[in-house]
Amino acid sequence: MSTTATDPIRDYIVQEFLAGEDAADLTDDFDLIESTVVNSLGLVRLISWISETYGIPVDDIPLEPAAYRTLADIRRFVSEAAPAAV
Amino acid sequence: MPSPRLLQAFSRHVQEDPGRTALVAGGARVSYADLEQLARRTAADLDAVDRTDVRALCVPAHKSPETIALLLAAWRRGINTLVPSPGLGAAALATLTAQAHGPLTAVAVPGGGAILSREESDPALADGFSAPDPEESLLTLTTSGSTGVPKLVPIRTDAFDRFGDWATEKFGLDADARSLSFSPLNFDLALLDVWTVLEAGGTVVLADAGASGDAAYLRALTSDNDVTLVQGVPLLHRLLAADGARYPSVRTVVFTGESVSEQGLRDTFAACPAARFHNVFGCTETNDSFIEDIDPDAFVHPLPIGAPIEGTEAVLLIEGPDGTEVLQGPGTGELLVHTPFQTCGYLEQARNAHAFMPDPRGGGAMFYRTGDLVHRDADGRHFLQGRTDFQVKVRGVRTNTLEVETVLGAHPDVVEACVVALPCPEAGTRLHAEVVRRDGTSLSSLGLRAYAAKHLPRHAVPSSVALAGTPLPKTPTGKPDRNSIKKTRLNGDT
Repeated sequence: MSTTATDPIRDYIVQEFLAGEDAADLTDDFDLIESTVVNSLGLVRLISWISETYGIPVDDIPLEPAAYRTLADIRRFVSEAAPAAV
Repeated sequence: MPSPRLLQAFSRHVQEDPGRTALVAGGARVSYADLEQLARRTAADLDAVDRTDVRALCVPAHKSPETIALLLAAWRRGINTLVPSPGLGAAALATLTAQAHGPLTAVAVPGGGAILSREESDPALADGFSAPDPEESLLTLTTSGSTGVPKLVPIRTDAFDRFGDWATEKFGLDADARSLSFSPLNFDLALLDVWTVLEAGGTVVLADAGASGDAAYLRALTSDNDVTLVQGVPLLHRLLAADGARYPSVRTVVFTGESVSEQGLRDTFAACPAARFHNVFGCTETNDSFIEDIDPDAFVHPLPIGAPIEGTEAVLLIEGPDGTEVLQGPGTGELLVHTPFQTCGYLEQARNAHAFMPDPRGGGAMFYRTGDLVHRDADGRHFLQGRTDFQVKVRGVRTNTLEVETVLGAHPDVVEACVVALPCPEAGTRLHAEVVRRDGTSLSSLGLRAYAAKHLPRHAVPSSVALAGTPLPKTPTGKPDRNSIKKTRLNGDT
């Protein structure tokens, strides 16, 4: 579980999808898709943020929700696609 | 009931059994003789003012024996009383009083008596409003304006007597009845739990208006006074049933106002082992119109609103190929009812053409358009689907915010939930939930989202959840004030 301020992915999710809410329960394995915290529209925003933040071309980013189910999934994808960034 | 018959029955109880307890309030017992004395003191104050131009007496519904005595005294003098929420602001009160052709306001004082004041207001405010006719009605109630000033609904005396007859028989009310009066005096629920019980010679236990969310207080009040009749919204039943409390004295439980969760039902069954359970459906304009007698051993959930009360006629209106038509057989449509208990119409004449219409099947009876979306199954049971105006579209999918509330409210750690539709730049409309969690639970907004996602289609899962420890803002009739919640959210969002 990672809750420090040095976790930009988590910070982004909290700021963008859980603004003003208690995010203490947001663990690395919390299912963002199943819980609808990230819905289909949110997924589009998330992908574009990843693309911009980590310099990964949008075309290289898979669109299926399963790739972003949890914080751990997103982190794993980013570290594989842009190893220098994380 | 606010009718000559109630007044006669009350006087009879005073004569025949003066020492019997009429009211319990603030820990003190008020006997029928005490209440009579309070009413006489108040009558003296009413007689001390010139009442020649008085068409309606505004009595803010402060919940006290003195206010009840004030109403009895006014009715004895043939005065129609307008009974609004005491929480209304001065400007709204003045407008309502003017609309009802006032111009007197009376506030009961401790120990009996009333302070009367005369409102000078613009007579034009009463344009288009009928004056209440005391021959026809002694009581004018208000319905929640979720928008703007409440609507004025005169309650007919004969309609009240018919309601009293029905309720007395249906719930077996007599001098041994002891009701818990939880809702404010200006609610139509008081017609049963205050006025019909007094007419029967029973005892009314007045729950303090300020303590309505205090479970420990309500539990003690109910236990200590051997209450037999509990009527109220699911929140009341939930508070009473908390922590495994038991009420062997309760004989009748009436659910009303909103849909109750399955767990809430089971908890109440356990809390009141000797009771009969009813789901009652109605509104201020028609009073009760549907009832479902609930069998704890064989009930369905969500609870049906049941079948029309004896004497009530109900039709469902649907949009057919040639316009509006009456639904035959099973299906879903807007509920229209005609009850033996209904009002003769709003004082504001212009409202009536939209709210009331002649029997759509032909015939002269006036039907009230409830605005409620109701499903009728093949067995003739009716189920409330929500308000016709609570339908919103979320990402193109028709969604009923009340259904979402019901699902959130069914979470064991949720005390109350309110869901509003907010504008969303991406989706057009998104759902936002305000939720009050039970004290001491660790329910988080993420936990609740996960729960909602399990029980709702994706489009219906609120996209934001705010958890609070304090009760939600309420309308004058005790329902969550969705407009206020929405406004706060919108202003906070921008």
